Amino acid sequence: MKQTLQALGQLALLWAIYWASNWFVAAAGLPVPGNVVGVIVLFTLLCLDVIKLKYVELATDFLLKHLVFFFVPIAVGLMEWGQVFHDYGLTLLVAIVASAVLPLLAVGFVSQALYRKQD
Amino acid sequence: MTTLFAIALTLAAYLGTRKLYLRYKHPLLNVVALSAAIIIAVLVAARIPYSDYAPAKDIMTALLGPATVGLAVPLYRHRGLLRRFGAAILGSVALGALLAMLSAGLMARLGGLPQDVVMSILPKGVTIPFAVEIARIYNGIPALTAAFVVATGTLGSLIGGWLLTLVGVHNPVARGLALGTVSHGQGTATALMEGEQQGAMAGLAMILAGIFTAGFAPLAVWIVGLAG
Repeated sequence: MKQTLQALGQLALLWAIYWASNWFVAAAGLPVPGNVVGVIVLFTLLCLDVIKLKYVELATDFLLKHLVFFFVPIAVGLMEWGQVFHDYGLTLLVAIVASAVLPLLAVGFVSQALYRKQD
Repeated sequence: MTTLFAIALTLAAYLGTRKLYLRYKHPLLNVVALSAAIIIAVLVAARIPYSDYAPAKDIMTALLGPATVGLAVPLYRHRGLLRRFGAAILGSVALGALLAMLSAGLMARLGGLPQDVVMSILPKGVTIPFAVEIARIYNGIPALTAAFVVATGTLGSLIGGWLLTLVGVHNPVARGLALGTVSHGQGTATALMEGEQQGAMAGLAMILAGIFTAGFAPLAVWIVGLAG
């Protein structure tokens, strides 16, 4: 019971950061999602020790464990877009394969080279 | 009533496919793709249109925003790695994020896809909450973006490790970074199976790739726009 209340309080804190980040992005007219800004804000507050890990980790650990759940209803929206895959399937496939392989190799090679330099 | 049914159906599909995935841990047993396929099949069979499912979607995704903000916690827990391998991590992930967007966007544009589909495919290398929001800014279609994200993640998990070995990338830090940058959460799960260091680096790369992709998106959209 106490843990549940604690987690709900932590969720409220996460919500406040998310809400404030969205407000900031909208007010400043930035072409960046509020949730990305929210991650940067929380990370900064953790590093500055303004927010301690124990103030949020109960809620974040549970939410992140089930983060994939939230993706499911979004993907159900595909129901209305089947035609796109029918019309452009091959182009989409080529674009997805190429844009996965190219950066995969680039990141692998570059980080391996930088790692050797650094150590 | 339909909304309650939709929520129960979604929960059941998620819990069932999650159990299946945790048991076999195969990249093709993707929880998002399988769950969505089951739910769509049931909705179609029961003749429930998507518009009747949408209210349930809004209720269920209400916590996605705060949950995504929570990604700062793993980033913070691994700050030691960030300090130690800072240049290798930031440099390569930034490069990878930009390359992924440009190659996907340019190929989609040159392949003659409509503008909203091009904008939907652009951010598909990063985890769904970031990708969907980035796509939304440029009038992409969230559901399509989600599908492209899952397709990319599945592809990366299936062949990423093999491809890296083939070209001689054996360093665990480099392998983790590559898998996390290109195939987000699914790549991270695969990297974790290779080892703890690979998994930690992939987790970091996935979150940083989201941030870089959001930051580079205006540039990528502009360049893709130049291509006709």
